[in-house]
Amino acid sequence: MHCIILRNNLKEGISLVANAKKESAQLPALKNILIEAHDTALTLSATDLEIGVVHSLSAKVLLKGSCTVPFGVFQQIIQNAASERIELELKGSALHISTENYNAKIAATQKDEFPIIPNLSDDTPQQFSVDAGSCVHALQTTATACHTSEFRPELSGILLDIRDGFVYAVATDSFRLAKAIIPKKKLNISPSITASIIIPLRTAQEIIRIFPQESDVIQVLFDENQIVVKSKSTRLVSRLIEGKFPDYTMVIPKSFEAELTIQKNELIQALRLTSSLANRLNEVRIKIDDSMKNIQLLSSSHEFGESEYILSVKSKGSPLVISFNWRFLLDGLKQVPTETVFIGINSEQKPSILQAPDDEGFLYVLTSIKTA
Amino acid sequence: MDEKKLWEKTLSEIELQVSKPNFLTWFKNSRLIEKNTDTGHVVVGVGSNFAKEWIQSKYNKTIIEIIQNHEPSINRVEYIVLSSAEAEKKIFEQKQTREEQPSSQVGFIEFSADPETNLHPRYTFDSFVVGSSNELAFAAASAVTKEVGTKYNPLFVYGSTGLGKTHLIQAIGNEIVKNFKKRTRVKYVPSERFVNDVVWAIRTKRMDDIKNKYRNVDVLIIDDIQFIGGKERSEEEFFHTFNILYQNNKQIIISSDRAPAAIPTLEDRLRSRFEGGMIVDITYPDYEMKLAIIKNKVQEKKLQIQDDVTHLIATKIQRNVREIEGIINKLLFYKELKGSAIDIRVAEEIIQNTLQQNMININPTHLLKCVAQFFEIQTSDLTNKSRRKEIVIPRQIAMYLLRDMLGMSYPDIGDKMGKKDHTTAIHSFEKITQGIIKDKALNQKIVMLKEIIQKTPA
Repeated sequence: MHCIILRNNLKEGISLVANAKKESAQLPALKNILIEAHDTALTLSATDLEIGVVHSLSAKVLLKGSCTVPFGVFQQIIQNAASERIELELKGSALHISTENYNAKIAATQKDEFPIIPNLSDDTPQQFSVDAGSCVHALQTTATACHTSEFRPELSGILLDIRDGFVYAVATDSFRLAKAIIPKKKLNISPSITASIIIPLRTAQEIIRIFPQESDVIQVLFDENQIVVKSKSTRLVSRLIEGKFPDYTMVIPKSFEAELTIQKNELIQALRLTSSLANRLNEVRIKIDDSMKNIQLLSSSHEFGESEYILSVKSKGSPLVISFNWRFLLDGLKQVPTETVFIGINSEQKPSILQAPDDEGFLYVLTSIKTA
Repeated sequence: MDEKKLWEKTLSEIELQVSKPNFLTWFKNSRLIEKNTDTGHVVVGVGSNFAKEWIQSKYNKTIIEIIQNHEPSINRVEYIVLSSAEAEKKIFEQKQTREEQPSSQVGFIEFSADPETNLHPRYTFDSFVVGSSNELAFAAASAVTKEVGTKYNPLFVYGSTGLGKTHLIQAIGNEIVKNFKKRTRVKYVPSERFVNDVVWAIRTKRMDDIKNKYRNVDVLIIDDIQFIGGKERSEEEFFHTFNILYQNNKQIIISSDRAPAAIPTLEDRLRSRFEGGMIVDITYPDYEMKLAIIKNKVQEKKLQIQDDVTHLIATKIQRNVREIEGIINKLLFYKELKGSAIDIRVAEEIIQNTLQQNMININPTHLLKCVAQFFEIQTSDLTNKSRRKEIVIPRQIAMYLLRDMLGMSYPDIGDKMGKKDHTTAIHSFEKITQGIIKDKALNQKIVMLKEIIQKTPA
């Protein structure tokens, strides 16, 4: 193998595949990066057997070939190399990395020991293509509601609920739920595809990290236990979470006891302020007064004291008092894309929702705190 | 040679040829799923997609050779990724051992149920307190779990709200799942959900989906069947589902807040079918049983309370077991919030508040509206002077409830009921008071009415 590459391209490629590697005593090959030189391109691959990422970059290839080298060392060298062009050459069992005034020789191993990263063929029946930014946005806005412990594996990822030509991203930890719709015009999908797949949170985070750098269209292919997301130059493969996501449509309330429309940033500010005196349950109370023109945010802690914040709102419905975990509320508010936010409130047992006014593109459902 | 043996032999030979880490990484959780000596092909399940790619490209030849030594006719191996049964088992165990978080954060109740069966793992026979008021129901329930579909079919459990019907019928489902593992498909559905499904199916013209969903089960558990009454399409759909399941010896379990005969809107053909099975009722718990329930709940939530507090709750809460749970949750909340122990004074206050809260939202107009709705007459009928029998009794009941639930004075009641004399109110109150002692049906009506009035928002 012998090739010449631009340092910046190589650096970028390494950072794209970086998170898929893994220190493993059982399979040392996993801490390596696989470098393959084809006709006009170089591909970099890394995997931890849960996720695999393959990135290809243009290069001047003098001799085709492949090898694997330890990830950490290779990354450090490339990151610090001063020269614009880098030459890679495999001689025997050593990879020579050279620039104008630098030369390194690192131990390389053959490709044989490196896992084969699975792929799905382009004619896989279950697939769609989507504008990268919209897909990443849907994952980003919902990821915050994911369940992070291992008790409920089926909730530890983001559900892609695909039906009737729509793709919904949904995540929940059973206390709150976030749902985002990928805009129809950004999506190219056959309406006959109906599927529910659960993407592990880490995979979603990798997709978010890897793909916004490319503004073009990405292709998403999947079967019952794996998903492939690819752009022109990068391909990510991941397992899917087994199990059945609960029927989330059941928990989305259709009616509200009170409806508020508030300036989002004012409410965020008010929450941040009142939350500093919240009790151990992170409880902040929202009280809609009888005039329905104002709401009060109330907090009180036995240790430190209490506070209240008055906000003017537009509202409908009946006056009420309700307690929320302010962290949950804030998480949702931050994801609402507009300057004003619509809040549909129900008391006690029934959940409430946050969304942009008259827009169901993003929906955040949250449950209250029971008060004595 | 059977599949398991063959694969064990194959693995032991592969183990000699590859390094230990490699063997563990790629062959862990693998298993021979299918062997067909006629077509000469076997199906091997492996742990992940990575393992599949790896084994296919590196070990396929070796595996075929080894298998051929034992089964010469085999010439092709197909690999599939297992939906790992191991993983499933682990998840299930975790679910069982998961501790209930003592927190007042309300969650999505629907999500704690198993998505396949809809059963909540919390409801088990072990946590069901048995006493004189429900021992027959419990005996019938345990019999059903042993002889599914043959012994008592359908099993009809009825009793007032908050006495453990849902607990009992879900526990039957959980027990059957436990005893028969995956072989028996159990489905639990509140009748309201069933109605929603039927409505959805009619609207989207997907009636077949509903038929598949409910007819392809071995045990169908329907909760609160009384809500299905009067909804004709749902009743009809349920009737056919019932028949198909019944004919195929599938177990049907139904709960309701009253006996089949007392559900006025239920079609006769359904009623007679319910009555053809085993009907058991759950009545109000006695003091000892309430005590046992409280102790159970307290232990479950890891709350420590004194005996005098338990005694207080058991005496103050008359009927509804769910209220007991409510009180305990509130005690828990109090403890979490204040971080102090619960003494009798605090408990008394909390109980008092709870009991009062139930009454707070009721006003006379709302009460009359509920009574009128219950008897399917106009609210104005209650306050006019008609002497028709179907109006006189509801009117007397209304006056009784105004006195009993709201503690209104007799002149006030007379006034509210269309300027009647206070003696009329006294007469009505006394008549009904005596009536409920003698007349069981009347008593049941009053209990139900009280519940309706408390539950429906004003």
